[in-house]
Amino acid sequence: MTATLLPLDKIDPVTAWQPWRPSPADPWGRKWAGHLYRRAAFGPAREDLTEAEQLGPAGILDLLLGGRPGADETLRTIVDIGQVAAAREDGEDQMRSWWVYGMLQGGHPLREKLVLFWHNHFATSIAKVHRPGLMFRQNCVLRDHALGRFGPLLQAISRDGAMLLWLDSNSNVKGKPNENYARELMELFSLGVGNYTEKDVREAARAFTGWHTDGEGFRFNPGLHDGGPKTVLGKTGSWDGGDVVRVILEQPATARFLVRKLYTFFVSETPPPDALLEPLCESFRKTDYDVAGLVRTMLASRHFYSDHAFRRRIKSPVEYVLGAVRAVYRRYAETDPEYRPLPQQVLVPRVTAMGQSLFAPPNVKGWPGGRAWLNTSTMLERANFAAALATGTLWTVPPSATDTAADAAPPRALDPARLPAEERATRPEDIADALLDLYVPGGVRPDARAKLVAFLAAGNPAGAALDGRVREAVHAVLAMPEYQLA
Amino acid sequence: MFTRRQFLTRTLRGSSLVALGTVVPQFIAQTARAAAPGKDRILVVVELAGGNDGLNTVIPYADDLYHKARPTLRRTKDTVIRLGDHVGLHSGMRGMQALWDQGHLAVVQGVGYPNPDRSHFEAMDIWQSADPKRATPTGWLGRASAGIDNRSGGVPALHIGPGRLPMALTGAPGGAVSVGDQNSFRLEMGRGGADRQADRRKLLGELAAPAGGPGEYDLLSFVQRRQVQTLTAVEDLRDLLEGPNAVRGYGGGLQQKLQLVAGLIARGFGTRIFYASLDGFDTHADQASSHQRLLAELADAVGSFFQALKTTGHDGRVQLLTFSEFGRRVQENGSRGTDHGAASCLFVAGPAVRGGVVGRHPSLSDLDAGDLKFHTDFRRVYATLLDGWLGCESKAVMGDQWGHVAELEPKG
Repeated sequence: MTATLLPLDKIDPVTAWQPWRPSPADPWGRKWAGHLYRRAAFGPAREDLTEAEQLGPAGILDLLLGGRPGADETLRTIVDIGQVAAAREDGEDQMRSWWVYGMLQGGHPLREKLVLFWHNHFATSIAKVHRPGLMFRQNCVLRDHALGRFGPLLQAISRDGAMLLWLDSNSNVKGKPNENYARELMELFSLGVGNYTEKDVREAARAFTGWHTDGEGFRFNPGLHDGGPKTVLGKTGSWDGGDVVRVILEQPATARFLVRKLYTFFVSETPPPDALLEPLCESFRKTDYDVAGLVRTMLASRHFYSDHAFRRRIKSPVEYVLGAVRAVYRRYAETDPEYRPLPQQVLVPRVTAMGQSLFAPPNVKGWPGGRAWLNTSTMLERANFAAALATGTLWTVPPSATDTAADAAPPRALDPARLPAEERATRPEDIADALLDLYVPGGVRPDARAKLVAFLAAGNPAGAALDGRVREAVHAVLAMPEYQLA
Repeated sequence: MFTRRQFLTRTLRGSSLVALGTVVPQFIAQTARAAAPGKDRILVVVELAGGNDGLNTVIPYADDLYHKARPTLRRTKDTVIRLGDHVGLHSGMRGMQALWDQGHLAVVQGVGYPNPDRSHFEAMDIWQSADPKRATPTGWLGRASAGIDNRSGGVPALHIGPGRLPMALTGAPGGAVSVGDQNSFRLEMGRGGADRQADRRKLLGELAAPAGGPGEYDLLSFVQRRQVQTLTAVEDLRDLLEGPNAVRGYGGGLQQKLQLVAGLIARGFGTRIFYASLDGFDTHADQASSHQRLLAELADAVGSFFQALKTTGHDGRVQLLTFSEFGRRVQENGSRGTDHGAASCLFVAGPAVRGGVVGRHPSLSDLDAGDLKFHTDFRRVYATLLDGWLGCESKAVMGDQWGHVAELEPKG
């Protein structure tokens, strides 16, 4: 597939970002619907793929960008619950579980995906902030602006209580500036390394003097603010922090920095040449940093629906765990006897062990992502999670010794062995294809498929033994290399 | 120590390993070739993350300018562990005093590089890639492992810690291994009969195996290699961590991490580059107590590490290097802390080290924008350890031939 792929620097940047249209040679189907769902959401459930196939790429993208009907209403409830969760004594763990619930069942996964992006971009850790309530409020700020404009978001985050604590703003005072926020603002939040000088950092820090927090929210302390003139990025004035943010937003480097980061998040982890991103940067600037517009352009484009983007990212732990759960879980109607709620709280320690502790990124640069997600330790966590999810031990807390020896079935709503019946697949080949079509739509290496078929066929299992065999196969599929790619 | 036969049986025992494709035969060949107990030299690198305040680590207690610059953080003549008439170690570092007294500790002062970067991330990457121009995407230890005869079970370099693989270890052929302290390092199979285990492990190995082809694109091959490596390392480490003579002290802080390294060395695991880190040195505010605690954790860990190695008779083939991304500003800030600085000190420890203070303390009157000036480029330290200790050509690792720091050449 790569043999015919045009090198990134040979692609015409203008046509690359034009909307993709399915063709007989490259039709809309599960491969591309799954691709979109992995990027714009947390992976597809079986029903999502069926729906997406019917709606087509434009219809499903509209649905993802706007959220499901009623998602706004749901959000109000979710936010209320979050407030309560954060106030509890074990608020830190409660909040992680709360957010995972919102990602899985909030009705607006793309919005939550962007909240995750911004959480990583403005990486703030509860390890230093200590207050779940402040972390919760920051999470809400990120959500309010997730698909909005970057300018207001950057202004809001500069006055965010958790951020002010995180980067030592209270010790930034007239005469003794603390450069922490000013530096990260330029290096990591907007301009990127190489687009400002050490002097810009020092001057900007002066502008932020007196931008303090009382432990709840933003509090300006005029007595400790340096009101004198500063020169930042070549412009001079008697500025405060808001002015510095404004000057930063006027810099073309800001759009370039953000577009590149969003491209890595949504399209591909293979670094693109600047020229390929230039049309996006231009419209991002022209639209006053309209994030939703930029994301729509990316996710509708010919470049997105190409081998330059297909499986060109490594799933983050959140994407890996939630994606696997969405594929395994079936949400029956609550009146159906098969209905089971999804106990999302058991997912949180798994995601953490894979290296992504929500609300606690490793440092202000966030999770490095990409290949760094996969080392021997985290790879093993993924494989062990796959076994627990596929065979059902994930949901039994704590799993008893006798339980693991038995061939007990998980509840149907949480049982991946439902799939053959749902797809009316009985032959090993058909069962293998049904599994691959749901978990890795777009196919896998032919010899890997052959091994899977042979595994399912060995000894001709039937009935409960076949169900057990299917679960074992799902374990292997969730652990396989293709499944690690988004 | 393992015999060649034990290595082979252990390696081939898991049926999954037989089916792991092209990577494994090479790994077995390597193991077989190297199964004789090695007397290879080992380098352990300890990263002090956050920017250690070198000025309050190796303290110029006799310098008035020091006391002026550090009105609340200063340590006096009576409280330091004196290394001579001019400098002394912070009193938290008593755990390393025995190493100093025995002449097993080199204290290298004024280490840095031109145009120092004061961003944590940039500076950390510079130290780890050994490239201040930031043009090199891989780490110095990862690249070095390519040139080192690797006698371990396919693990050229081992990172002990829960986080991501440090940049310093990236670029190792076959990939360096990270051992977290959160998981038990066991391959779980969930629910299912014991009779199914072998078939299931075999399938995991088969699905991970490289399909064999230049047709496969990079990212997928990368994941495949990672997976094969994980399955093999799991088998191998399990034995060391939970076998009949399990290595003790797994999990926890720096002391436990280094104890695990000492145990692995004693058991003949064969990896020659180990890496662990201690975080928390970004002491912008109220530095005194946290810095004391961190230095004590470092010194106790390093001291007991060499004690453990001495007991098993392996101390002579181990050197330990500490580093941090930068030192801190000479003048303390208004929050009884210190801000990001430049040049700093580092330690090289081990019985094969020529103990003593290396280089003069940087001047406190001749500063660069409030920061200490370096006189010893850190790449000279690396070159000395690579050429002189690990027997790995430093020019191949760093591109240029850096002069050695004579005092850091190994004894004998």
